[in-house]
Amino acid sequence: MNPSAAQVAARVLEALGRGERIYTAVVTGALDPALIGRRWWLSGRRHGGSLGSPALDEAVAAAVPALFPPRESRGALSRDFRYQDGDRAATATVYVELHGPPARMVIVGAGHIAIPLSRMAGMLGMRVEVLDDRTDFAAADRFPEAAGVRVIDFRDPFADMDLGPSDHVVLVTRGHSFDYECLVRLLRMSAPPGYIGMIGSRRRVRATHEQLVREGFTTDELSRVRAPVGLDLGGQTPAEIAVSVVAEIILFHAGGTGVPLVEKERVVERFFGDRGARHAAED
Amino acid sequence: MDEKELLGQLATLREPAVLATIVSARGSTPRKTGARMLVGREGVIAGTVGGGCGEGEVIAAAEELFAGGPPRTVRVDLTDDFTTWSPAVCGGIMDVFIERANPERFDDS
Repeated sequence: MNPSAAQVAARVLEALGRGERIYTAVVTGALDPALIGRRWWLSGRRHGGSLGSPALDEAVAAAVPALFPPRESRGALSRDFRYQDGDRAATATVYVELHGPPARMVIVGAGHIAIPLSRMAGMLGMRVEVLDDRTDFAAADRFPEAAGVRVIDFRDPFADMDLGPSDHVVLVTRGHSFDYECLVRLLRMSAPPGYIGMIGSRRRVRATHEQLVREGFTTDELSRVRAPVGLDLGGQTPAEIAVSVVAEIILFHAGGTGVPLVEKERVVERFFGDRGARHAAED
Repeated sequence: MDEKELLGQLATLREPAVLATIVSARGSTPRKTGARMLVGREGVIAGTVGGGCGEGEVIAAAEELFAGGPPRTVRVDLTDDFTTWSPAVCGGIMDVFIERANPERFDDS
């Protein structure tokens, strides 16, 4: 029997509970009306349901891993799939969703910027972990939104964390020697976090980078670190700086330009200026 | 409402409901591909596919499914000329797939 949307929603929640990715698909357009609404899902080696033809199931199963960037934890799109239905070639429109465990943000340095940053990352739906070597700073009651607060040793700051390309690490430690210790570990990982940001003035960033170069890191490796972290908003307070960091992370994933929309769209200039008036009339 | 909450509601829904999902969106639409809404016999239960911009059309189409209509894709065109004062001036086109969310809860199935 065709699994219902409600039944597949239950499978999605189970997969997320296990910390696994799950793809779901439903046929929304096909010549054969009996196919419309047929559902299928895939999570690791588990799968269920069918899109109405084993060949279509196989075509979708083969395509889904490449449909969404590996670091994304959520995605939704429609595609036309060609498949062989007996002795004729057929096409079906299939709507596919990806659900994955939430993206993680690891904040290193539990100081005054970490507090608004943890809250804002939580608002974005990220799973937040805060790290510091000072027990009075790395205290759970300072970070109610964080899933974890750890007291670490900077000689091995990411012990047992299993960081990977889908993770975000933001370094807001109290000194560049700590940033350096973290970056050495992060850049040497076989699969480093996809987003590594480090706060600091130009001078502080330069000092850290000089130390990394002496250690043998290449400029290619250095350029993987977003330092100084954040967008140039001009803000000064911890909350304003946190906004600039989360804004950069949204930009990183959503692929915008970071330009104010008023400048990007220029509605007044295009449609209401002296020259624009003509365009408006022509439109 | 956050997406996981809506999935939870969808998974445990007792009353018969229609699920509306934006399966593709082009141009300027208030909600993007993947947005969902659950519609019961009495109206919207949870979620949204964009409020004023086209949602009424989707709710009306959902009623056909309670009457036994087949699952289908509803095309919502929000590109009306803005001088008509229509609410549909968001500027995009979206395809919304509507289906029985939990056919097992419908009396006729």
